[in-house]
Amino acid sequence: MEKTLDLELSRRQLLKTTAIAAGGLVLAYYVPFGMQRAFAQGGAAPQSYPPNAFVRIAPDDSITIVINKLEMGQGVNTSMAQLIADELECDWTKISSVSAEVNPVYNHPFMGIQMTGGSTALASSWEQHRRIGATMREMLKSAAAARWGVKPESCKAEKGAIVHKTKGKLRYGELVDEANQLPVPTDVKLKAPKDYKFIGKSMPRVDAPAKSNGTAQFAMDVRLPGMMYAMVAHPPVAGAKATAVDDKAARAVPGVLDVVKFADRVAVLGKNTHAARKGRDALVVTWDVAESAVSTASIEADFKKHAEATDAPLAEERGKVDESMAKATDKRSMDYLLPFLAHASMEPLNVTINFDGTTCELWSGHQMPGVDQGAAAQVLGIPPASVKVNTTYAGGSFGRRASKTCDYVVIAAQLAKEVKKPLKVVWSREDDMRGGYYRPMAFHRVTLGFDKKKLVAWDHHVVCQGIMKGTPFEAMMVKNGIEGTAVEGIAGTHYDVGPFRCRQTLADSPMTTLWWRSVGHTHTAFVMETMMDELAEATGKDPLTMRRELAKKSPRHVAVLDLLAKISGWPKKKPEKGRAFGLAVHESFNTVVGQVVEVSLDGKTPRVHRVWAAAHCGQVVNPEVAKSQVESAIVFGLSAALYQEIKIEKGAVVTGNFDDFPVLRMSEMPVVEIAFVPSTDAPTGLGEPGVPPIAPAVANAVYKLTKTRVRTLPFARSMA
Amino acid sequence: MELKINGKAMPVDVDPETPLLWVVRDELGLTGTKYGCGKALCGACTVHVDGQPVRSCSFPVSAAAGKAITTIEGMNDQTTIAVQKAWVENAVPQCGYCQSGQVMSAVALLREKKKPTDAEIDAAMSGNLCRCGTYQRIRTAIKQASKSLA
Repeated sequence: MEKTLDLELSRRQLLKTTAIAAGGLVLAYYVPFGMQRAFAQGGAAPQSYPPNAFVRIAPDDSITIVINKLEMGQGVNTSMAQLIADELECDWTKISSVSAEVNPVYNHPFMGIQMTGGSTALASSWEQHRRIGATMREMLKSAAAARWGVKPESCKAEKGAIVHKTKGKLRYGELVDEANQLPVPTDVKLKAPKDYKFIGKSMPRVDAPAKSNGTAQFAMDVRLPGMMYAMVAHPPVAGAKATAVDDKAARAVPGVLDVVKFADRVAVLGKNTHAARKGRDALVVTWDVAESAVSTASIEADFKKHAEATDAPLAEERGKVDESMAKATDKRSMDYLLPFLAHASMEPLNVTINFDGTTCELWSGHQMPGVDQGAAAQVLGIPPASVKVNTTYAGGSFGRRASKTCDYVVIAAQLAKEVKKPLKVVWSREDDMRGGYYRPMAFHRVTLGFDKKKLVAWDHHVVCQGIMKGTPFEAMMVKNGIEGTAVEGIAGTHYDVGPFRCRQTLADSPMTTLWWRSVGHTHTAFVMETMMDELAEATGKDPLTMRRELAKKSPRHVAVLDLLAKISGWPKKKPEKGRAFGLAVHESFNTVVGQVVEVSLDGKTPRVHRVWAAAHCGQVVNPEVAKSQVESAIVFGLSAALYQEIKIEKGAVVTGNFDDFPVLRMSEMPVVEIAFVPSTDAPTGLGEPGVPPIAPAVANAVYKLTKTRVRTLPFARSMA
Repeated sequence: MELKINGKAMPVDVDPETPLLWVVRDELGLTGTKYGCGKALCGACTVHVDGQPVRSCSFPVSAAAGKAITTIEGMNDQTTIAVQKAWVENAVPQCGYCQSGQVMSAVALLREKKKPTDAEIDAAMSGNLCRCGTYQRIRTAIKQASKSLA
């Protein structure tokens, strides 16, 4: 995937500037649609630009940065502004940010659609946003030079003004009108790292004050005049349709305004969310669904059966595995099982929508606003341009708000089509958790062949449900029956382990799947990194030294392991009594993260006291925001590893809230220490790469305490 | 019925068993208080009733009548200002959705215990979930706010 991306990067071209409305200077870029597949979002080069494409400098010197990514906690409203501000040489205190509307000008430079995902916000904007800042700076410089009658080269940009040693100083706000008239330079030079002003500094998060005093606006908080609150009776089993409804009890609930049968579902509209919920729960809906025998156990058994196949599609083979395996004197076969997982972001899914019969406006936290726009337009039978999409702050997402079917937007649009009045469609926590999109279950079978304590063959079979089928990324991510997300982190591993093979079976289940923070790496890293510890034990080596040796051709792995050893004291430091250290390292989204954990057992529950994390993600744009991402990933991954599992009975998800899908709490929070390998390389991903190493690191520590290998997650299940 | 919210008397016309959360959010437009679970499991809906932190998603509005209700919008005392300042300086919020509830719990803690220990922070804050995992920063921020108030 990344190779293609580089190619796209080099084809970037600057198109034009436009000066529109309110005297602002506006820069717009067009990035060719290289990666676009199935989504029809715009087509060719845009013919017109929104007034405030990426940056608007107003005559009063205020600077508005339009953020074309969803702020879902990862800090894009701050760090992406830093990229522009650094080259623009502006006054940070004058900056504010707003979310972009839908327009091809905001398309992801690599992906060809407007989207947030794949840990690419900074990686994909690194060149683009700095270039935007630099271009604008040069135009302001030329405008000042023209006014003074001096050469632009004799002028300097400094803290929001152009200065000249004899002519004095002109503020950006005084120059915007003139700058607007100038041609756009195409050969701006970007700064050397030593000259960075904002890049590499922990600029305060621009969203922190509003998110500390309750004024931050999430989709859930959008209020429209006359708005009704809607709760929907969702099918208990994916695909079931409501055939009949008895709504007598629902209509008797105080505050219920209406009951609407729409598409395959039934909605209750209320004067507030409680009335709608109580009414919804009082509905008696008949669903056309056959008795289902599908359960967590039945899917697991099915996946396990698939693992027996010896002719599954080959993802990668190095050397001659069968030949080497035949010579092995000692063979060990291990089975791994990882469960379905829900995203469970703090803000349950919701959409505020207003369709008047001709035009539509909607508000939500959109990871793919253009795709959601297209889906709503299709449902409503109006052109996409008639759907105005507002991207609010998202109360978390972790992949869920990049729905491959736009499910919750489609449902809201279907209801709005019937009602034609302002609506807020709210999902309860249980609706959200049972809503049908999950990190796929995965079953791995690994056979290692040894000859006199030396590894001679590694045969790995992944049975996993795919994610990409039917999505715009299918052509890119599914090749010869192999889906990249199911074997990422195994096929192409940096470990040089000799004869090595990875097969993949894409299994089916009635469950729908979706990318979940770090996608396939969530299960592949667990298997690979616990296997590496088994290998270290079998060959009598130190786990860190062995990994460093096997991955010596990857400079990032080596640098991360060295830094990790330094901050954690590995291997000399001794854990406290009753505790053990565990280690794991994994590359995802071009970033390598290594973690050492200190673990004890609280009864049968592993308790993680400390985590040391080292990461190589290229240039760190905002160290505090970057550290927050790794802290967050550790908590996210640890919650899943310790406790989380989506359970299915009779075809339906029965897990529903934080009581049966626990999230780590304050009292369980380890002390986390994070360090980054210093680098001026272009940034690589960081929102997700902190997740994969935590589960295997804990499992490796647990082994030292129990002498039992944990191969099934969550720990709550395998250690029960 | 009439509610006393953030020092103001506010009449509301709702089913008495409606959880306080939905009255403040949907009927009164005070949206800083959040819905997360509806079962008092996550703390996103924390408000103060007569100064005590309560989970408004599981607190019927009828039980709040006649009492002093404070939501995040009505928090402006010295302790709150210190907590919010520490929240910003330590870059606590990520997605931010749970943070109103976290702030409400932290302020209640600091009013009770001027210098909370780690165990007291655990006890007071473990009812507030954060899916972004901001706990370490919350702990640091509470200690900083405590110091600044001393």
